[in-house]
Amino acid sequence: MKRYHVIVIGAGPAGLSAAIEAASHGMTVGLFDENARPGGQLFKQIHKFFGSKEHKAKIRGFRIGEELLAEAEKLGVEVHLNSTVMGIYFPMNKITVSNGESTTSYSGNNIILAAGASENAIPFDGWTLPGVMGAGAAQTLMNLHGVQPGKRILMVGSGNVGLVVGFQLIQSGCQLEAIIDAAPKIGGYGVHAAKVARTGVPFLLSHTIVRAEGTESVTGAVIAQVDEYFQPIPGTERHLDVDTILIATGLTPMSKLAEMTGCDMKEMGGKVPVVDQYGMTSIEGLYAAGDVSGIEEASSAMIGGRIAALAAAAKDGYIEQNEFEKSYSDYQSSLEKLRKGMFAKENRGKTLAVTDEGLPISTNLLKHGFLDEEEITSYPGMTSRQGIHPVIECTQNIPCNPCQDACKFGCIQVGADITRLPIADVKSECKNCGMCVAACPGQAIFLVEEDCGDHMAAVTLPYEFRPLPEVGEKGYGLSRRGEEICPATVLNVRLNPVFDHTAILTIQVPKEMAMRARFYRGSRKD
Amino acid sequence: MRKLDDRNIDLGEIIPELDDHIIICRCEEITKGEIREAVHMGMFTMTEVKRLLRPGMGLCQGQTCSRYVRNIIAKELGVSPLEIEDNVARPPMRPIELQVFGNEVESE
Repeated sequence: MKRYHVIVIGAGPAGLSAAIEAASHGMTVGLFDENARPGGQLFKQIHKFFGSKEHKAKIRGFRIGEELLAEAEKLGVEVHLNSTVMGIYFPMNKITVSNGESTTSYSGNNIILAAGASENAIPFDGWTLPGVMGAGAAQTLMNLHGVQPGKRILMVGSGNVGLVVGFQLIQSGCQLEAIIDAAPKIGGYGVHAAKVARTGVPFLLSHTIVRAEGTESVTGAVIAQVDEYFQPIPGTERHLDVDTILIATGLTPMSKLAEMTGCDMKEMGGKVPVVDQYGMTSIEGLYAAGDVSGIEEASSAMIGGRIAALAAAAKDGYIEQNEFEKSYSDYQSSLEKLRKGMFAKENRGKTLAVTDEGLPISTNLLKHGFLDEEEITSYPGMTSRQGIHPVIECTQNIPCNPCQDACKFGCIQVGADITRLPIADVKSECKNCGMCVAACPGQAIFLVEEDCGDHMAAVTLPYEFRPLPEVGEKGYGLSRRGEEICPATVLNVRLNPVFDHTAILTIQVPKEMAMRARFYRGSRKD
Repeated sequence: MRKLDDRNIDLGEIIPELDDHIIICRCEEITKGEIREAVHMGMFTMTEVKRLLRPGMGLCQGQTCSRYVRNIIAKELGVSPLEIEDNVARPPMRPIELQVFGNEVESE
């Protein structure tokens, strides 16, 4: 039987990172994944990641996947694809793998579980009809296979998955009819909600799906308002004309393999193995990293994978204790940065009233997905002044700071604590380079020249839709809620390679619209 | 005694619910009503319900429906879902054809 120093189960962000870390210390690594392609969910993440430079922020997820894969291959990690781990056995430290034709066993001094999570379904009338699917499944169809999941879509769930996939549906040309959520507030990042809202998609909070209509496939959806116990309120049902219903109501850890070993488990949105600070379970040599040990996101999963492999390397003597301690404390502090802010674990389920800075949190953003015009002046990124200047519509404490690095002229400051709100420095001169606009993973930065003469203003915005409008084209300026509020003329379209496919669009709008117009739509409507 | 351990408790008549027809286990096409009936027949654990009706024995091996089966059992019994022990995890993780299972190849 082939023996590896480390067996990693799951080739997603956590598993790839664990494999790389272990191999970099000279350990032999076998990486197993049941899918035909490695990368887990990374290769369908076409959006720019949050975090700071050390977390690969502002890099699109699939590029991070490519980097990790290249690194793993370079380090000699043996990647087994189409290889489903059928069973795991301790204390023999053995796994049995099926490739669809035969089964083979391998043993590993250490086994790192990084099997990820699966999408939660919600049973409702008609949920087994073709046309009802997980939001992640729809994302796979679009971004890996180039297939639109449908034409007219209802998204159920307003967490980051619902918001990110919702935006990508619009990018792919689908009509996103609404995003609904049973909770009374939007679950994901405000900036993700805002970029969906400004295209005109409504958010219906305290709403649930009652029924999928249709006999052969989905021909419509019935939604209803819910009471405080999340029960539909009779009489509030309404029909939506959709052909696809996407479910984004959370994830469940795929922890069955952990359970099979008999290691200690606990309830945490599904069963997860109990792990120590290094990701080690109650069984020596068995580790868990990433979503399988508790749902987080890809950036923390990557660090979690590294820590588990590092601990395995130290245990087996592949690194010295002092080297281990140094690396561990670096990874740990990097992880802690991601786990801060208003979406941190300790704040889950809470309704915060103020930001870390003591500013009131926008309730309109939580309820409708966009900032109210009355609210915008209260945040440190949104200042008004003469000449061109950045307007940073980032109002929640989330762990993210690429804007600060993007501006070489000191216009934007976040500081060492990356969850602080960015501050637009009124003393520094904006050079209109557009770097901050393209770098912001939340697409929340605009360059505004409030008065360009002739009662006109210029608004520069991030634009990730194709085809790109042409310079001189006339269309509409859209408000934060996606209403056509004024005529707009395209003044400039910039597509520098450094912007990484985020086009920087400058539109001319009437002066009074400078702080209101936040999106552009061409007059040719389809 | 916890309610769950008492096999003689009377759950009363089963009262039909509007959504009894909804499929809970997609893979094996088992409805909410069938699971409720099983509880009233005396199946108080996931394992018992699974042996009677097969929810969680299809393609996804319960990854999707387990939590709902558990919630339904708990609701019928009037206990917290956490008191209902989950299905035992055991190999094989995924459904596998016997010819594949039997075709063991030594790793080199």
